[in-house]
Amino acid sequence: MQSRNIILETKKLNLWYDDNHAIIDVNLKMKANKVTALIGPSGCGKSTLIRCFNRMNDVIEGCKIKGEVNFHKKNIYDPSIDPVEIRKNIGMVFQKPNPFPKTIYENIAYGPRVQGINDKKKLDSIVEKSLKDAALWEEVHDRLNDSAMGLSGGQQQRLCIARSLAIEPQIILMDEPCSALDPIATAKIEDLINELKNKYTVIIVTHNMQQAARISDYTAYMYLGKMIEYGDTKQIFEKPKEELTEKYITGRFG
Amino acid sequence: MVEKFHEELKEVKKDVIKMGFLARDMLKNSVEALKNIDEKKAKWVTDNKIKIADMDDEIEKKTLRLITLYQPMAIDMRTIACILKLNTYLNRIGRYGKDIAKFVPEFKKTKHVKKLISIPHMAEIVCKMIEDSLNAFENGDISKFNDFIELEDTVDELRYSIFRECLSYMIEDPKVITRCTYYIMIGRYLERCADHACKMAEKIYYMVTGERVEIDCREDTSKACFVCVKKNE
Repeated sequence: MQSRNIILETKKLNLWYDDNHAIIDVNLKMKANKVTALIGPSGCGKSTLIRCFNRMNDVIEGCKIKGEVNFHKKNIYDPSIDPVEIRKNIGMVFQKPNPFPKTIYENIAYGPRVQGINDKKKLDSIVEKSLKDAALWEEVHDRLNDSAMGLSGGQQQRLCIARSLAIEPQIILMDEPCSALDPIATAKIEDLINELKNKYTVIIVTHNMQQAARISDYTAYMYLGKMIEYGDTKQIFEKPKEELTEKYITGRFG
Repeated sequence: MVEKFHEELKEVKKDVIKMGFLARDMLKNSVEALKNIDEKKAKWVTDNKIKIADMDDEIEKKTLRLITLYQPMAIDMRTIACILKLNTYLNRIGRYGKDIAKFVPEFKKTKHVKKLISIPHMAEIVCKMIEDSLNAFENGDISKFNDFIELEDTVDELRYSIFRECLSYMIEDPKVITRCTYYIMIGRYLERCADHACKMAEKIYYMVTGERVEIDCREDTSKACFVCVKKNE
């Protein structure tokens, strides 16, 4: 892969949970404004890997990391780097929608407020823009002051995406964002991901291979903590180079 | 669920092979029927036209069902893509057999212009190509495809020699024009069947390796007989 437009790069990344070597020598280059999917059987380390990208593993006890994760060529594990700053640039959406028990408006405005934006007009425009980018505005614009907990699962998940967009990240990490949603809500999130890549870079962990094939530009297949194959999504699903990948995506193991 | 899918895919593959050998038999028997002016055999071929068309439909239905239910990937997807093409080619080959068999009653009164040699020889080569393709489809051994360019060349040459031979007979004696026209058409049908066999080989090659190739006659014969021209992706 050419080095142009590389927004995130791991170099010899290793991670241990105590004695458990969970990520082994992962080298990966991710392009800006593309969707990269991480696939692999349960426990292969894909969620652990995606959590490395914005230092979400920092808080886990016994977790030790070696190697580099370079965001715009700067190692985010460098002691001089502030993890809060990193997470502002690299947002995350989780498996289960987790809105704050506040109004829809407050869910979105929370991040910008923490960053010191208090101007009502400015906040209004951020809320509108984020909800529009997350394809939720049409559905909720007349009830912004209702509780976010009253939204459906799919809407809650799009709200979480809108919430991460409010602080204008460059990368959005998604850890199985559709696994708790019904097919219609899933289709909406997939359409949304396709839209998002015009402005953001998306890295997504998914258990659904067809989903990876549908929405991603590049796919990485992981197994037992190692990166087995990484390449163009079309190639991976039509003609994988590695036998392990072939076996996994055709359901012969995993 | 995945195991069930692979079981079902295996079944469809078996159906394709069955259909393939029926197509081969239709072609083989049609030429034998022609050679010996055997109307009974010719009828067997024409009667099987419906059967092979039904098999084509049935395989297509089963394959589409597999795609809908399991959304296959990689080798499985390539196998399915291959099957969908193969059943069309095989149906065409069977139908050419039927077309040839339909000429048989025409020779009942007049007999052949001369003993048939080139047409049965052509049919033999084409049937071998079909068999090689079907075997490769079954066991993934694509080494036999190395001979395909040469075989196809021979078939082309035979077709042309039938054409020239018939022309000279027709010039000599206008009474043979009808029959000779049939021979020329049959030569053409057999040549098309060889093309279909090559197309089948290309699809099977793709199924096995994931590479798209073309079996093509190149000018420079110094190259290996099986010239794989990679198509631009």
